[in-house]
Amino acid sequence: MTSVNRKWYSGMATQEDWWAVYLGLFFFFLGLLSIAGVDLVGWAVYPTKWVFNVPEGGKGAISHAFYALGSKYSLTAKAFYKSLGWWSIIWTYVIFTIATCIGAASMKWDLKRFFIGWTIIYFLTIATWFIGHHAFFAANKTNWHQYGLNFALSLGGGASFILALIFGLIIGNFFKGFANYLSVAAKPEWYIKTAIVFLGVKVGYLPIKAAATSAKMGQQMASLTGHLFLAGAVATIVAYLIFWPGIYLIARKMFKLPRKTAAVLGSGISICGVSAAVATGGAVRAKPVVSIMVSALVVVWAVIELVVLPGFFTHIWPGTADPLVAGSAMGMAVKTDGADAAAGDLLDEFMRNKVTAETNGAVVWPEGVITTSAVMTKVWIDMFIGLWAFVLAMIWVYKIDRRPGETVQASEVWHRFPKFVLGYFAAWFIYLGIFFANGAGAPEGMHVLKAAKAGAVPVEKGFRKLFFMLTFMSLGIITDFSKLAEAKFGRMVWVYFVALFCFIIPVAIIIAYLFHHGMQIPNIAGQVAAG
Amino acid sequence: MDVVITHDGRNWVIENDRLRLASPTLDELDVELARLMRARGMVKKGQVAKVFMGFDNATIPEWMRPFAQHYFNRVVEVRG
Repeated sequence: MTSVNRKWYSGMATQEDWWAVYLGLFFFFLGLLSIAGVDLVGWAVYPTKWVFNVPEGGKGAISHAFYALGSKYSLTAKAFYKSLGWWSIIWTYVIFTIATCIGAASMKWDLKRFFIGWTIIYFLTIATWFIGHHAFFAANKTNWHQYGLNFALSLGGGASFILALIFGLIIGNFFKGFANYLSVAAKPEWYIKTAIVFLGVKVGYLPIKAAATSAKMGQQMASLTGHLFLAGAVATIVAYLIFWPGIYLIARKMFKLPRKTAAVLGSGISICGVSAAVATGGAVRAKPVVSIMVSALVVVWAVIELVVLPGFFTHIWPGTADPLVAGSAMGMAVKTDGADAAAGDLLDEFMRNKVTAETNGAVVWPEGVITTSAVMTKVWIDMFIGLWAFVLAMIWVYKIDRRPGETVQASEVWHRFPKFVLGYFAAWFIYLGIFFANGAGAPEGMHVLKAAKAGAVPVEKGFRKLFFMLTFMSLGIITDFSKLAEAKFGRMVWVYFVALFCFIIPVAIIIAYLFHHGMQIPNIAGQVAAG
Repeated sequence: MDVVITHDGRNWVIENDRLRLASPTLDELDVELARLMRARGMVKKGQVAKVFMGFDNATIPEWMRPFAQHYFNRVVEVRG
């Protein structure tokens, strides 16, 4: 069956990009109903740290290792959600199984295989989440004693992400038949784009959360997210006007690659990975195999970056002195949305745990700000790929490979536009609108903000983290490192290696430093202590 | 006129229910298309026919489609 983007609405029912918007916004609106006193998302499952033997007066009972977020945040059904406990795993499974299966059916996937694959991946993810929250992995230095420990790895939620990736990679590289079966449901791009729509709720909710400390802090947070948005715009200039020409020249002059291959490779390495490689391949009318080869390289390198960079940025440079420089640099350096957002969230966990440990609990950063800085830069880059490909197409069609009679249509920009960012911005701006429309933290509007919080937290915390976990697991499952050795990429591998480590990452760090240095994340230690 | 364009690994291929053409380069494909349309009277002398070539995204491997679901569409004017 053919699949041609003929009309502006082509693909609205059949593309993952659109289904990330539908899924994300559906649960966003469900959460929004809390303002009207109806709590329909409190069943969201969430893990907490646990140990086998709880010390006297301590915490971490296995029976409480999973709970429904509504048991903490619901204003109208707290008792019911409290009764769910571990059953919240099943509630979350059933509801998301229905939602994702509707999407899979609409996208005409093999529904039976998707259902089985999704079920296996979901429960593997939950099991990994559980293991990753053992206090030995997750407990912070400031609360080791509460779990009866003298030492723990202090990785926070980052441990679960790392374990999910490791388990996924084991399946993807040692159980290839099983991985192939799961591949119908191992959809990191779908899961991460949905998670990014949930992240939009997070960005909009951050000022509401901070307003619980004081109206001033709420406004500071709104201002910080606004600054991150504006500063993130610089990434667009860096990716398109510094990285791309640089990589193109390296590929042409140093490695003597053909013009079209250099253009596609340049976009894949410097802009937004596979989507840029495909867009550019189409724009310069390259044979699809060029984009396919570049894309295969991008996917594997992105996972390598995901493994290396969060630890490097946290423990070597810039560390907790400049967390938003690190986040922004991540957004510029890591290609593919999945790997970038995942790396950003891992960085967020590492950095927050490190600063809390370093200051003995005197400094606590709200979760999600560093992730936001990583995603914001990436979203800016993503948004302009359609326009960039359109410009390249005009240069190629009208100048380089001039063909009389051929024209380039402006509709190409829309077909290449990443649709999930529409959901991200809608969720962000609506929650931000609720914050400002209700006094921006002033006492008279706090009852509305508290009601909004009850619906926002299960979405921005529970669903977002779950979908990040699903992304890590799925990324591992579909990443087969042997492809890198098998495929005859030749010089392209070396262009990628040289470009990434000698050009992209250093320049990303410098630019991120210039535009994000000194930005401070508000300290919510007082709020955490009170809560 | 609308046609679907794909690449079979060697040739660019365009087809609809009235024609099917294959050529290793887009330049040759356009020349072939113009020749065929004139020969079949699909474009009269002095007229200009617009041919919309929509890329079949099923050509892109399934694992790549979640990342990018559009390769290109092109419009070619054929003069009679």
